[in-house]
Amino acid sequence: MDQAELILLFAKIWGGVGALVALAFLSFGIDRLDEDAKGAYVFRPLIVPGILLIWPLVLWRWYILADGKDEWAKRYKPKRNSHNLFALIMPVLIIGIIAAGLSVRQTWPVNLAPVQLTEPGQ
Amino acid sequence: MSNDDKPFFVGYLDVPGPLRRFLLLACVAVIGIFVATGFLIGSTQDEPPASGFRFDYGRQTVTGVIELTPYPLLRVTQGNDLIKPGKTLMLTGQGKFGVDARAMGLEGQLAEVSGIILQRGTIDMMQLAGGRRGLKMIEGDAPAMETEPLGRWKVAGEICDGKCLNGAMRPGRGLAHKACAALCLVGDVPPVFVSTQLIEGSDFMLITGPDGTRLPKAAYDYIGQFITAEGDLERRGDMLIFKIDTDTLEVTDE
Repeated sequence: MDQAELILLFAKIWGGVGALVALAFLSFGIDRLDEDAKGAYVFRPLIVPGILLIWPLVLWRWYILADGKDEWAKRYKPKRNSHNLFALIMPVLIIGIIAAGLSVRQTWPVNLAPVQLTEPGQ
Repeated sequence: MSNDDKPFFVGYLDVPGPLRRFLLLACVAVIGIFVATGFLIGSTQDEPPASGFRFDYGRQTVTGVIELTPYPLLRVTQGNDLIKPGKTLMLTGQGKFGVDARAMGLEGQLAEVSGIILQRGTIDMMQLAGGRRGLKMIEGDAPAMETEPLGRWKVAGEICDGKCLNGAMRPGRGLAHKACAALCLVGDVPPVFVSTQLIEGSDFMLITGPDGTRLPKAAYDYIGQFITAEGDLERRGDMLIFKIDTDTLEVTDE
């Protein structure tokens, strides 16, 4: 199995689990968590792609909300101190990725000349 | 609010005085960084030679003999002012698609082709018009076409798709180039080998598998990478055909 097949297999498994989560969450989970969603069905297919991508977060939030552990007020109090750190890390990381990508590139092997190994008919 | 004097930006109100200079500097800095980054990344790419669709030539129509290598070629027998008899044209369809299905069954037959020329230096190709306007068999006896064997060669360079190399795109380097070329080759656009140095007067060759088969799947992993490879070389008209031996494929260390 090469790298491309591994990546494809991972995407299939991730998407497959995401589809199961979406089915369960949109069928009955969302009704228990959000009373405004009860009886509203048209919007549900619209959030399927999002659930396919971030289904672990959906499961986590589902667990937190269903268990009554949600401290909703904290969501409106972002940890601003850590923002500075991430604001620095992100550009450094982006520059690092670009630099690493450029440094591992091959160079055009201009000095490798074509060689005739055998004459025609040999 | 702990500090009532601290300026606060509200988009639909006038900008507070102390923030104006900061916003102005931030705008200039962001624009400058984008321009500089674009310039720096662009400067790492090779200068693309003049190439592309030659719409200025207008649609070209020529007659010749279809050969399937298995990628379809036209050995021109009756040309025009631009495309002379004796020339060998690679043929492609629109988008990232070849014309294998349309040329099937026409091998060795006289055909009239019509389309737009793509050109890059000495390499060129015709993108056929749709349907029978682009490719149709015509009456007449097709002359026999010669193939000149040139022996076995070891060459260095890269596998690319003939259409992008000709200027449909401007091939760069790296992952995006590799993905683009792979997509073209999956769509049956003729593959070409771009050589580091001239071989028999040409720096590119149409690639096939051994014994006139399609480009082997084993070669797809090496698309867009700088490699060395061995294979048999032959000349059809003014075009070289390289029958690649995938067992000899190696990525260069340079």
